[in-house]
Amino acid sequence: MTHPTKAAILALALALPVPALADAAAERFREAFLAGEAGWPAVEARAREEGAVRFHHWGGSDLLNVWLDGVVAPAMAERGVALDAVRLTATKDAIDLVLAERGAGRGPGEGSVDLVWVNGENFATLKDQDALFGAFVPLLPAAANLDLTDDPRAALNLRDFGTPTGGAEVPWSGEQYVCAADTARVGRADLPATFADLRRYLEARPGKFAYVKPPHYLGNTFVQQAVYALNPDGTGAEPFQRSAAELGAAEVARLIAPGIDYLAALEPLLLGGPEGNARYPEDEAALDGLLGNGEVDFACKFGVFAVATGLLTGAMPEGAEQFVFPEGAMIKNKSYLAIPANAPNPAAALVLADWMTGLEAQVSKLEAVGYPAGIDGWMLDPADAARLDAASPGLVGVTQAELDANAAPDTNATLVDVIEAVWLERIERGSDAALDEIVARAFETVR
Amino acid sequence: MRTALLLAPLVVVLGGLFGGALALAVAQSLGFAPWFGVRAFPDPSHFAALWGSGAFWASLGLTLGYAGAATLGALALGTALALALGRAFRGRGAARAALRVPLVVPYTVGIALAVVMLGNGGVLARAGAALGLLADPGDFPRILHTHAGWGVIAVYVWKQAPFVMLVVGAGLAGMGRETREAAATLGAGPWTTFRLVTLPQIVPALTTAALISLAFNVGAFEAPFILGGGHPDTLPVLAWRDFNDADYTRQLRGMAAVVSLVIVAGAILGVWLLLYRRWERRVGRA
Repeated sequence: MTHPTKAAILALALALPVPALADAAAERFREAFLAGEAGWPAVEARAREEGAVRFHHWGGSDLLNVWLDGVVAPAMAERGVALDAVRLTATKDAIDLVLAERGAGRGPGEGSVDLVWVNGENFATLKDQDALFGAFVPLLPAAANLDLTDDPRAALNLRDFGTPTGGAEVPWSGEQYVCAADTARVGRADLPATFADLRRYLEARPGKFAYVKPPHYLGNTFVQQAVYALNPDGTGAEPFQRSAAELGAAEVARLIAPGIDYLAALEPLLLGGPEGNARYPEDEAALDGLLGNGEVDFACKFGVFAVATGLLTGAMPEGAEQFVFPEGAMIKNKSYLAIPANAPNPAAALVLADWMTGLEAQVSKLEAVGYPAGIDGWMLDPADAARLDAASPGLVGVTQAELDANAAPDTNATLVDVIEAVWLERIERGSDAALDEIVARAFETVR
Repeated sequence: MRTALLLAPLVVVLGGLFGGALALAVAQSLGFAPWFGVRAFPDPSHFAALWGSGAFWASLGLTLGYAGAATLGALALGTALALALGRAFRGRGAARAALRVPLVVPYTVGIALAVVMLGNGGVLARAGAALGLLADPGDFPRILHTHAGWGVIAVYVWKQAPFVMLVVGAGLAGMGRETREAAATLGAGPWTTFRLVTLPQIVPALTTAALISLAFNVGAFEAPFILGGGHPDTLPVLAWRDFNDADYTRQLRGMAAVVSLVIVAGAILGVWLLLYRRWERRVGRA
């Protein structure tokens, strides 16, 4: 009950009439900056005047929270800006806040979110709703660390889950979906490499695997990987780069049918399945708990360096190792920092976004938090690139070449919601309607 | 006039915050959400979609089942504890203090305790594996995350039995022991005394405690969210899931679930009070 009630109270408070006086100075600053008329020193000066920046981010990682408090906050203080890190259980909360405030008539300079760590559908929503500050990325000094050309290596700088970033969010971190097992419990030779292997494995050891429940993004990603790997045309991720509108409901249904059917048939073999009630962990913490407790034999999530940092902090069992699964369909993406249109401290948000994309921040984030770099190594001079490489906590059980060789792109943001809705209806609610029908319904209900 | 003045702060807070939120929830569930570009008020389709789905009724059944079972459990256990603590015995003070601990411990801590103790990777499971009773902690019988809801009910009972104990204990203390002793002198056994003397005396206390517990249990979110069996979820969890859906129009259906919950809880409250008033009149207390 807590959440809906709180949200209702919040929405009520925000819906009260607010004097409709846009912050004219903030609006002028935005226009001048985006037109390239405000130089960087002027941005820094205004940031000092603003004096604070509210950074909304997923707060489920202790390592990240400690790094923000211990490294980022002092660096911002040097620039005359107090960092107010707002920890969220889900990024969507920040998006809801931005949209609710805007709905209540709070324009430029009058919101309460300065910077959000975001990607995928959340960014697509902000963009859809025209709630972004604008194309600030090329104007940041740290943009020199990013390849903003159409180099295929840098595709993720320009497209986020297929949505053009339009310079409205700056790449900050990278990730790839990797599986980890406790090799003290499972022999490396027994680990699956394909979805067919996974099924065989679970037939021998029923109940010893679980994936996070969609609509959590970790669950959505697992489902997308199954859909890629079992694509009936054998073309993997390729058709899923197009938008839902381009593909049409019938084609989407045809393309995802084998993957969805596979997952539906796999359910009785998942954790709790043998007892008749398959159980999907709600989030990353629950999934980590299952692996740590040995309730599952292996688990998959975004976390290229998660095993290395987990071994350091003791969060992972000593025998933990990563492995390649599923071959050729390990989704790789980037996450970004975006500034909402009604950010109360836009200049401070720009200063923070710039610092976060600088070499120092990227090296120290990689070392301390274990999040892969968001900037592009080939844009740096060789000494700096070497520093970035050296900061990596290291891979355990897989090589970078293996990860690169099996990488797959994200699903187009418009399809993410469709596939999620199909999973919820077909697998969670156990609908026995034809898949065509379910997909058509998902097309209708999802914008 | 004076009474009205004294009540004013409470009325303002309850009316403003709770009443306002409720009005907004009702408005949203009927299609009023201009901030998402939805301006369909009044539009009953969200209720139609919700009430037309089998999952809603399954959710309602689970919600009432967990809430009812937990309330009955807490009433039985709490009354037994109150009666036991009504007698003099060595260590009564310590027992009383220990039994009050759950009252000051938040639900979330109780939920965490349930996960740590009763989970399949929990203390009992690991102890079982260490003692060789289980091949693997994962083989521990599944108590949490099932639709039987043992974990949810256990947390509610753990928290609410001491509350019932306190309320019933206060009622018993106010009553004195004389009537019970008189019954015993006249040859009534303990069970007869309880049924014919004690129980009618504590009915008002039981009614109050049961209503408060039941109302909380019907609307509680955390325990069924963390310890429940997944789909179908209880109504508050269903509302939250809809509210968090990527599809913003689903939020309106989530609001319809919230309003449904209010209707159900209100109906229970109304019927309960009606029956209680009737009973009071029948026993001549009105």
